[in-house]
Amino acid sequence: MKPLVLFAQVSFVVVLIGAWEFGDRVGAFDPNILPPPSAVIVSLRTLLQSRSFIADASDTIVRVIAAFVIGAPLAVVTGFVMGENIGVGRSLSPIFNLVLAVPQSIFLPVFVLVFGLGFTEKLIFGISHVFFVVAVNAMAAVREVPHGQVVLARSFGASKFRIYRSIYLPAMAPQVVTGLRLGVIFDIIGILLAEMYASRSGLGVLLLRWGESYDVDKLMAATVLISVATILINELMRIWETRVGRWRQAMEDR
Amino acid sequence: MTIRRLVLIVIILGSWEAVRRFNLVGPLLLASPSEIGGALIKSWPDYFVALRFTVAEIAVALAVAWTLGIAAGIVAGMVPFLGATAGPLLFSLFAVPLITWYPLFMVWFGIGMTSKIAYAAVSGFFPIAINTMNGIRGLDRRYVLFGQAIGCSRRQVVFRILLPMAMPSIVSGLRIGTALVVIGVIVAEMLASLGGIGYVISYYRSIYATAHVYLGILFALACAFVANWGLSIIERRFTHWRELQIEER
Amino acid sequence: MTAARPIVIETRGLGKVFSVDRAPIVALEDISFAVREGSFVSLVGPSGCGKSTLLQMLAGLVPSTAGEVLVDGLVVRKPAPDKISVMFQDATLLPWKRVSENIEFPLEIRGVKAAERRERAAAMLSLVGLTEFAARYSHELSGGMRQRVSIARALAPDPRIMLMDEPFGALDEQTRIKMGHELLRIWSKTGKTIFFITHSLTEALFLSDVVLVMSHRPGHIVGVIDAQLPRPRTYDIIGSAEFGAARNRIWKLISQDDDEAGANGMASL
Repeated sequence: MKPLVLFAQVSFVVVLIGAWEFGDRVGAFDPNILPPPSAVIVSLRTLLQSRSFIADASDTIVRVIAAFVIGAPLAVVTGFVMGENIGVGRSLSPIFNLVLAVPQSIFLPVFVLVFGLGFTEKLIFGISHVFFVVAVNAMAAVREVPHGQVVLARSFGASKFRIYRSIYLPAMAPQVVTGLRLGVIFDIIGILLAEMYASRSGLGVLLLRWGESYDVDKLMAATVLISVATILINELMRIWETRVGRWRQAMEDR
Repeated sequence: MTIRRLVLIVIILGSWEAVRRFNLVGPLLLASPSEIGGALIKSWPDYFVALRFTVAEIAVALAVAWTLGIAAGIVAGMVPFLGATAGPLLFSLFAVPLITWYPLFMVWFGIGMTSKIAYAAVSGFFPIAINTMNGIRGLDRRYVLFGQAIGCSRRQVVFRILLPMAMPSIVSGLRIGTALVVIGVIVAEMLASLGGIGYVISYYRSIYATAHVYLGILFALACAFVANWGLSIIERRFTHWRELQIEER
Repeated sequence: MTAARPIVIETRGLGKVFSVDRAPIVALEDISFAVREGSFVSLVGPSGCGKSTLLQMLAGLVPSTAGEVLVDGLVVRKPAPDKISVMFQDATLLPWKRVSENIEFPLEIRGVKAAERRERAAAMLSLVGLTEFAARYSHELSGGMRQRVSIARALAPDPRIMLMDEPFGALDEQTRIKMGHELLRIWSKTGKTIFFITHSLTEALFLSDVVLVMSHRPGHIVGVIDAQLPRPRTYDIIGSAEFGAARNRIWKLISQDDDEAGANGMASL
């Protein structure tokens, strides 16, 4: 069934794109509203060769990476502490869960009020998106650590470092990677949203600007590019997640 | 409402008010409860008009997302091949930052209510469809056999047996989807709109009317709360048996 | 005793082949037997030999790839809920409905009016001795009670034939024995034709007039044993010599089949 399913999925996408192109060719779609894939590819090529587009794209990428690089390690450590230390965990986790329950996007205007309109505001918005979801997952990851093994290892006199590396790390890895994957996704969403809302540079601004000026070709090209990029990132991280989580799969398959 | 909770709320409100009164945090960054109250008294007509827009958009988007999501989920759940094909596709698409499609929606549907409804409905569609599909797929096939054995038509099997059984999964999908719809509408209004709570929030932010911004956000949160509360009622009506099951254990 | 009664269920050369991933699996082969009205017939066989598939074909839920099933002389192509009721190992009670609503459900589907439904459900409940539990939900009941509700539900449309797929399989031994007695009591009271699948030789012999013995896959009938034990049956009949002899005959048939399988190099599944 597996190869057939794959074939069906691929052919579905191919047929969809084909129908889209066909629709434009025969005039079923207005190319000013829905440009054909051929036009989108052309626009994409132009954009990728355009200096200003690359500059904006880099701005976005820099913000995303910066937010992640700052937020993720902080969050993993925090989550780890929350998981290991019951007291800390019990007092902080309701707050964290509350934050995760309420959508941060609504508070964007407040972020702008407080932090202004610059790089800092977007960075902090991004960090905020990364932080909570990664921390909560890291905290959950601690629960995966087999306590019995830890006690046993300590009784053999294993050093703390050794224990962390050989027991904690592999046990926590899958859940932490899940958190990281979600963190990246939320990060991207947050940064793009912040750029769309109020920014001078970045992919988000371009999208909104092109939308308001009906620059459909460029808009479609950029949107598709971003979508494909995020799907790729998500899939790559999922592969990493699966590889790290091999022992988990074995348990689930039972 | 226990005494303890009440006291806690009073303390929070009190310190919140105090922080502003003693100017520990500036008026630009934070608005005290009294300042927010003042904003309400001053500008409540604006908010109520905006609320009408927003609530209407949310209602329509919810209706669309719920029906399409559940329908798609049922179909994908009933036909195993469809489910196996569509499932991973839906899952991968879920990663896409849907907000980046909003400008396209603006081109396609204009800047009015339709674009927001479309955007929010698509946001809500995915988790609803995925959860419904998984809910139906996870059901014991013998229930279908049982339905057929007592003479149920295809439709009866789906609506009288499968749907009620899959309700817990469907409802959890509805929960996520509803939240995404509410946020979707409001955020879209913040970005480009003619009206609505999000628009109002953005407007007041641009003139640095902090108290008004916070008030707007409170209204937005209220929308989310009400939607959630409505969902809890539905949940209780259709899945009370599940709770009892868990209690019994 | 049952010799003069007409044949209600008949299978002629029934076969079922599943094509899974291009490798065809022969589940059933050349199944032919007849069941007389009002009799209690059991089907025993090892796990995976296709007993459930056979039952589903008798119920009209699964089409045959060879041969046919006849009920009252007519070929079965789809479910006949007015004539046949089916019971599974899992009671398949609908958890959001109360016990009485569950029993009414098949009648609801058939379009029976509410008042008549309620009356009928109450009657069935009292037949299985669960009247006080009418308003409860299935998860509040024990396994045995759930199967009794399932029986009541199967009896509600007053079918002439009841097909049961290992209905007591998930119950503990004591409950199984009790349920067996219950079933016999209901059977003698209602005079239905019962086709009962089990993998317990003892249970099959204790309950039935006739025991069909099936081989492992591809399933075919290796023997038909006439129980020839007096009724009404009580549990102490299991110690009797006739019971032991009949049971041995069944056991021989099954072991022969096992040996053949071993000789053919097939796994016994």
